Amino acid sequence: MEAIISTFTNPYYLQVASIMGVYMIAALGLHLITGVTGQFSFGHAAFLSIGAYTSALMSLYLGTPFILNLLVGGLMAALWGVLLGIPSFKLTGDYLGITTLGFGEIVKVVFINMKITGGAGGLGGIPRETNVVVVYSIVVLAIWGLYRLQNSRFGRALLAIREDEIAAESMGINPLLYKLKGFALGTFLAGVSGALYAHLMQYLNPADFGFSRSFEILNFVVLGGLGSIPGTVLGTSVLTLAPEFLRFVREYRMLIYGALMVTMMIFRPYGLLGGIDFGKMFRRYRAQRKSMKDKKAVQG
Amino acid sequence: MRKKRFIFLLTALLAVAMLTAGCGGGGEEAAEGDTIKIGFLGGLTGAHSHYGIETLKGMKMAVEDINAAGGVLGKKLEIVEGDHGSNSSEAANVTQKLITQGVTAIVGDPTTGITKSAAQICQPAQVVLMSAGAVGTGVVEIGDFIYRDVLLDAVAAPAVTKYLKEELGWGKVALVTTTGLPYSESLTSIFKPALEEEGIEIVAEQSIMEKDTNFSAQVTELTRKDFDGVIFTGYYTEGALFMKEMRKQGLNQVMAGGDGLLGKELYELGGNAVEGSMVYAGFAVDKETAAGKTAEFIEKYKANNDGNIPDMFSAQGYDAVMLLADAMEAADSSDPKVFKDTLAATKDWEGVTGTITFDENREPIKSPVYLQEVKDNAFVVKAVIPIS
Repeated sequence: MEAIISTFTNPYYLQVASIMGVYMIAALGLHLITGVTGQFSFGHAAFLSIGAYTSALMSLYLGTPFILNLLVGGLMAALWGVLLGIPSFKLTGDYLGITTLGFGEIVKVVFINMKITGGAGGLGGIPRETNVVVVYSIVVLAIWGLYRLQNSRFGRALLAIREDEIAAESMGINPLLYKLKGFALGTFLAGVSGALYAHLMQYLNPADFGFSRSFEILNFVVLGGLGSIPGTVLGTSVLTLAPEFLRFVREYRMLIYGALMVTMMIFRPYGLLGGIDFGKMFRRYRAQRKSMKDKKAVQG
Repeated sequence: MRKKRFIFLLTALLAVAMLTAGCGGGGEEAAEGDTIKIGFLGGLTGAHSHYGIETLKGMKMAVEDINAAGGVLGKKLEIVEGDHGSNSSEAANVTQKLITQGVTAIVGDPTTGITKSAAQICQPAQVVLMSAGAVGTGVVEIGDFIYRDVLLDAVAAPAVTKYLKEELGWGKVALVTTTGLPYSESLTSIFKPALEEEGIEIVAEQSIMEKDTNFSAQVTELTRKDFDGVIFTGYYTEGALFMKEMRKQGLNQVMAGGDGLLGKELYELGGNAVEGSMVYAGFAVDKETAAGKTAEFIEKYKANNDGNIPDMFSAQGYDAVMLLADAMEAADSSDPKVFKDTLAATKDWEGVTGTITFDENREPIKSPVYLQEVKDNAFVVKAVIPIS
């Protein structure tokens, strides 16, 4: 499969497409946390790095199969997500934002000072296992899973918490439990994305998972449209492709990138696809056509 | 409704414009025949931009010189620039892009981390990567297409130690390490056996932390010892402050260290306290010993850069291109699979930073080492130590 694709396109496009897919998975995780549940997480890159380092170390030292490494990377990130989530969600308000902010820095410093992670020098020699096919299979799986989840009782409970926590609680929803579950799932996706990143770049450095990376992912979600899966996918695509394709304008690249974001936020304050529900649109369109048909049938 | 449609159109237009622009940049086919393309990988923007800009300046000068002399194998050299904005995850994309644009070799990145990341891509793609700045460990081990033309501490530190013993008569030293700083820890581990070999006794070992500002405890410890000088393996900020504390407590010894101490901040912060302190590096402008190629390079650089003098990165960038060009000439081929072997066999090659030999592990052995001394708020070359 990989071989067939590579005959049609060049390795550069494959590389960019792969990294875009990896970010998409991370952004989808944050979409569930921030977009659907309404909890602000500023340390998403930390969960990425946990997944990345866990899976990379497993590949390097244990030689376990790639799929297992992906899963364990994701689970490890989710485990830390739960440990961090329990105390933060017990408080009302945006405390998760503050704790994740701190957590992100702690994780970075720990990785810099650990011997096994190669410290500030970084961890190299990770086998290249990630390819476009694997990445996009997981992207599709994640989108399908999240779509199903959002349209289930669980997803509606999360939305209810986002809109009004007190009202949701009075309807019999346990906000702590639901927020925690949502956060664990979101961080799991971040971990998987990190594991894919590690096996794509083949080199990890704690500095790559700093504060700015967390905000980059948050940008993907916000620009695309909070709470919208197609929005998250579109936001990630635009924001990872823009700097890449704007490379030819050199120093002005970041200027244009910034201007693009400001313009978008002015014209689409809820994100590119914010407030647009493709499912609803499709159903409405069908209903409209049906009613037209019915009308015609009556007239005829 | 009309406004909405307008915005939609505008967004669509932007997207299309971006895509087509991207295709124009990325889809370039490798022009076979008339030119040999050499890629530049480095940050022209962002945190490490100084290194990248200087490396590229040196490379451009080398390409100009080569093309003026008729090129390589009858073809002109051409630089393909790849700016990754000092961002290591973008660096992988940039490297991949350079390879798709048909470069035979890439010069860069000046930092060890990004070089390692790029090496993982260059090795399987069979493109030669020549780093003009990566001094950390684990770089050339990645594969036989990976090279660097830098002065390694493993080569320089023993030579400097020998100089300290034989020329300056040091017999006892205090060794100061910045713990938690990989650069400092690895340099200490190189200095220790070197000192032992020369018969210099380490009478005191002290460790400090990065960003520490108070070293009174460590220095008080040293006042009770008798030693000729301090070997300091950390960075300039801590080095300057450490020397200040020593003067405060009445110690008059000077310090010696690696290029981590090389920065004008050393004397700006340290003032009189660092006067006479020594720093070694792979390149320095020394009017007395500079001759031939080196002198020409310095003059040409000055003429093109408002009289500023070149630094290590521009000189190493220049040498990197020259090394590659000479290897291609010697192999009579611009195929990386062929000329990488002639490159590995490079012996006593003369460049502007000195002579370079690649050892059996393809690690560079560079000669000479420039030992510089702080004198009246400037670095002055104290000794040019040849490596045998």
